[in-house]
Amino acid sequence: MSKTKAISAARTETGLFSRLVRSDLSRPSTLISGILLLLIAISATFAPLIAPTDPYDLATVSVLDGRLADGAGRDVLSAIIFGLRTSLTVAISSALIALTVGLAVGLTAAFHGGRIDAFLMRIVDIQLSFPAILVALVLLALLGKGVDKVIIALAIVQWALYARTVRAAAMVERRKEYFESAICLELGNTRIIWKHLLPNSISPLIVLATLQTAHSISIEATLSFLGVGVPITEPSLGSLISNGFDYILSGAYWITFFPGVMLLATVAAINVFGDQLRAMVNPRLSK
Amino acid sequence: MLAFVLRRVMQSVVVLFVMSLIVFSMVNLVGDPVDMLVNPESLPEEIERVRRDFGLDQPVHVQYWRFLAGAMSGDLGNSFIFGRPALALMAERFPATLELATSALIISVTVGLPLGVYAGLRPDGWGARIIMGGSVLGISIPTFWLGLMMIIVFSVLLGWLPVSGRGETARFLGIESSAFTLDGLRHLILPATNLALFKIAMVIRLARAGTVEVMALDFIRFARAKGLSSRRIVLAHLMPNILIPIVTVLGIEFGTLIAFATVTESIFAWPGLGKLVIDAIVNLDRPIVVAYLLFVVALFLVLNLVVDIIYAVLDPRVRLQSDEA
Repeated sequence: MSKTKAISAARTETGLFSRLVRSDLSRPSTLISGILLLLIAISATFAPLIAPTDPYDLATVSVLDGRLADGAGRDVLSAIIFGLRTSLTVAISSALIALTVGLAVGLTAAFHGGRIDAFLMRIVDIQLSFPAILVALVLLALLGKGVDKVIIALAIVQWALYARTVRAAAMVERRKEYFESAICLELGNTRIIWKHLLPNSISPLIVLATLQTAHSISIEATLSFLGVGVPITEPSLGSLISNGFDYILSGAYWITFFPGVMLLATVAAINVFGDQLRAMVNPRLSK
Repeated sequence: MLAFVLRRVMQSVVVLFVMSLIVFSMVNLVGDPVDMLVNPESLPEEIERVRRDFGLDQPVHVQYWRFLAGAMSGDLGNSFIFGRPALALMAERFPATLELATSALIISVTVGLPLGVYAGLRPDGWGARIIMGGSVLGISIPTFWLGLMMIIVFSVLLGWLPVSGRGETARFLGIESSAFTLDGLRHLILPATNLALFKIAMVIRLARAGTVEVMALDFIRFARAKGLSSRRIVLAHLMPNILIPIVTVLGIEFGTLIAFATVTESIFAWPGLGKLVIDAIVNLDRPIVVAYLLFVVALFLVLNLVVDIIYAVLDPRVRLQSDEA
């Protein structure tokens, strides 16, 4: 039983991927955003190899001949590449934590139903009634600065969204026959949740996680700009822009301009790509 | 119905209480506000005296009890920095934030609605494509960065508009606002537009979707067959039908405008609530942070309560559902 389920789950995954590659790469917006994302991922991963200087190494400050420097005397291009790395790390790790917590809560709620479900979903409702940026701001005001703290805050902001989405998907699965037969076979709750409910409820989360990553990057940048997120010693796109803000009136526009362009490009690319992914998972949305 | 409202009110009170407990115990974990209040060269005795004066030598639960007792009588404590009641400081700053959020709301409707309707009337035209492309950009672009770029272009390069502050205010019909003086208006334009941008993109999308949907309906076709001018069809037949959902969504979104004002206020040094709380976070001014957070929690609880009650009045199914739970 569980084997056939796994096979069918695997089939839909490859189906999604191959559909993405085959049919939809023909759309210019998907192609461009895909290539852009790939470039962004490569430069963030191999930042030390690509960046002309190391922004953490203060010795490079003096040898900036003809390059644009930021307020701390760092090479702007290198700082952006390393900043991208920080921003992506924050966004992706917070998404993973939130995804795990959201999955656990959503599956528990859907599996047990009744009072547990009502209680958990009430908490989700309350949390989601506050705007994400505000909750994150509050948490960071309470936790203090730092990359780890921003990751925690963003994970807390996002888990409720994943929980609600996975619960909705799992509620649909619960009514299907294979689930009923698993219950009748008395397979044990853990096994049913892990082997049956989880693989079948996870696909809407992949789309959500993509779009949420763009959102987290944006929130991280905003928080760092406000001075409650990533500190200036650790370049992130937001902290670079924030640093440049101090020099805006003296005409040094490049310190804010270029990190901002990078931020916009990253967020827009993920949004366009994620929309395409959503249209493929749910064909009814695309006209 | 009364039971539904009462239960939701009770729930809100519980949430507010739990939040006050969490917020109060957590602000005590970060930093030592006394470091911010005394001269770095003060004697240890003097530091102890300041600590005692602010009640910071007491254990957290005693501090919380004092705070709760004060809060019950409408006193949320004095600001460490300003030495004045936190609530009074917030009440002073709130009109500026309200003014900014209201202006942003007005801008987003006056700009977004015509563009959205236009894009909906000719969905395949070039104009519509440019508008919709722009709205995707508007949703992706980080608000704070756009604000900085607006400063660079309109203030630094062109020198047309002032960079920061609220400018002159004037009193009209009992409301003190910058919108009533020329100087105030010049100060208001950039921050309000900046705050409105995200909502403009949202209104465009809502208006376009509504227009496409309504224009396909029979009564529009009938109006056309009657020989009405397209101007009259849009104004008298289309508009009332698409406005209801837009107004509902904007009402709900007003809270997020006040939340996002924090960012805009920091960029343009707008003397509102958001600026007050960001400064308080940096300076470890705990009473202001706690008071602001509780204010915002209360604001959102009230907004959501009102929305839920309106929905329950309009749609009896909502009421039944919550009665079962």
